[in-house]
Amino acid sequence: MRTNDKVTGVVTAAFGAAVIYASLDLKNLPRQDYGAGTFPTVIGGLLVLFGAILLLRGLGNREEWLAWQHPVPLMHFILTLAAICASVVAYVYLTPVVGFPVVSFVLLSLLLYTFHHRRWLPSMGMALTATAIIWGVFGQLLHVPLELGLLEKVIYS
Amino acid sequence: MSDLLQAASMVFTWEVCLIILAASLFGLFMGAIPGLTATMATALLVPVTFFMDPLPAIAAIVSATAMAIVAGDIPGALLRIPGTPASAVYTEEAFAMGKQGKIGLALGLNVTCSMIGGVIGVLILAFCAPMIAEFAIQFTSDEYFWLALLGLSCAILVSGADPLKGGISMLAGLVIAMVGMDSVSGQMRFTFGNYDLLAGISILPVLIGLFAISELIRRMPETRNRAPLSPPIIKNPFEGVGSALWKYKGGVLRGGALGTVIGALPGAGADIASWISYAVSRKLSKTPEKFGTGHPEGLVSASAANNASLSGAYIPALVFGIPGDTVTAIIIGVLMTKGITPGPDVFVTQGPLVNAIFMVFILANLLLLPLGFMAIRGARHILSIPTGILFPLILMFCIVGAFAANNAMFDIWIMLGIGVMGFFMAENDFPVGPMILAVILGPIVESNFMRSILKSNGDLTAFVDRPIAMVLAIAAVAVWSMIIVNGVRAGRKVPATAK
Repeated sequence: MRTNDKVTGVVTAAFGAAVIYASLDLKNLPRQDYGAGTFPTVIGGLLVLFGAILLLRGLGNREEWLAWQHPVPLMHFILTLAAICASVVAYVYLTPVVGFPVVSFVLLSLLLYTFHHRRWLPSMGMALTATAIIWGVFGQLLHVPLELGLLEKVIYS
Repeated sequence: MSDLLQAASMVFTWEVCLIILAASLFGLFMGAIPGLTATMATALLVPVTFFMDPLPAIAAIVSATAMAIVAGDIPGALLRIPGTPASAVYTEEAFAMGKQGKIGLALGLNVTCSMIGGVIGVLILAFCAPMIAEFAIQFTSDEYFWLALLGLSCAILVSGADPLKGGISMLAGLVIAMVGMDSVSGQMRFTFGNYDLLAGISILPVLIGLFAISELIRRMPETRNRAPLSPPIIKNPFEGVGSALWKYKGGVLRGGALGTVIGALPGAGADIASWISYAVSRKLSKTPEKFGTGHPEGLVSASAANNASLSGAYIPALVFGIPGDTVTAIIIGVLMTKGITPGPDVFVTQGPLVNAIFMVFILANLLLLPLGFMAIRGARHILSIPTGILFPLILMFCIVGAFAANNAMFDIWIMLGIGVMGFFMAENDFPVGPMILAVILGPIVESNFMRSILKSNGDLTAFVDRPIAMVLAIAAVAVWSMIIVNGVRAGRKVPATAK
């Protein structure tokens, strides 16, 4: 998804201005003209400068404001991006409640079904194997606290 | 001598050897799949290395990247699809050799020259790094400030066609690096009352977001349109390699040396090394008209160069703590989390560790030969794995990997946010390399600047008081002038597709 340099330039300059604004409250070191806000202000200033140059450059060309240049249809891309974002959101909110194994198994089954198999049984089989491997490597070998959630009650009851 | 023995006893343990082997196999797999790069392999490996000691962690990353670069040659020769950007320059050449029935020779030369190039790079690294370190030990915060700034600036210049966009990418990386507690004054910056941001933004979710999630966003929509790959069978790998190597021995050695030097330049990685080496080889060849028609001369030189550059990148990384490419930026991040700050002092305080790292390099490069042979034989199987299966698995691995560094769900949000941003950056020709270098170098630039300014009581001329600092400052100012001038010029050359 390509945007015109004018848009990118304005966004960059606005970001730089926001960085400078957020640095205004930072205090200098005692008896010094420098402090925690010095570097952010310099960086923000450079972002404004570079954004302005990009904007000026953009004024000279006739690019579209927003253009989709991929062979894949835009709707297909949006749905895939939504699937990735939804997977992350689901993982963050559901894992503390139902646990890693269930969330990972369900998410992988859905993703494998959607992006490859179009059949539930092979997708679920592969999801189960992958979940077990990730659980083994991260949860058991590297001691990452991947919560068991619902399975904790099943296993330890 | 006792340092060397101590280093050998650190390297030749079951744990390190097993990790080198496993990481090489992982790199082989990642490099052989088109679209999965060596940097992505490193980003995915980092969550695991967080739980290792410094040496095994470095061994894992070094082995995986070296193997990924070599494995990236395989789909290029078989299917005309480069596995990694570093293989792109000679893909046409290797594929043309395949059409002439010399596919075994092409891949055999790729693997052997990569191994030779890698070893040349390590030897130069082991020879030069301690000497430069001895010189660099006199550096103060002034020199380090200019050096880090110069490193960042060079990264912008070599990162792409548009230095202005490279500069914006770097500045955005510096903003990311400034989030959290200021190391000098202890004030909170850009945390907006969020407790998860107090310790700053962790490097790991940024890495995974920029190099894995953004790639997934780009490639996952294509999975259903892509037909399964069907590479040809390779019958005689390594047939005729010995005689071809002897014939082009000069090119291999030149590629190795050139790759090491290019790799040592901040921001210039394996892909630039192989492009330049191929171009030089063509320029010096007696038969330049044969290049591109299945002629091995350019291929041997570029294959040696891309692996040698991996070693070269460690020269500034180990000596100054300034990363030469994205992979060494990751390594510096890993070392810092383990309490080791790369720099000239490391050569004095951690002598055996430095020697052990050199040994690991040699071992990883020597392993390229047997594992490369194995990869060529098994290429059909690796390449026939559908991406529709791989991508969902990589996504889950990314999520768990981002969580693993700090056991924080917040890092998963950072990973997703940076991943989406990385996708839009790549779509608009903003290189991501300068951003990751800035995230690593940002604190070094700022802390050395603040140290110098406090030391001189606010006198800015103290930054150029010392001769080396003065030279570095002139170089940094010259590079920044070039960035701005080239950035304005790049705007006048609007790409044809944009009109």
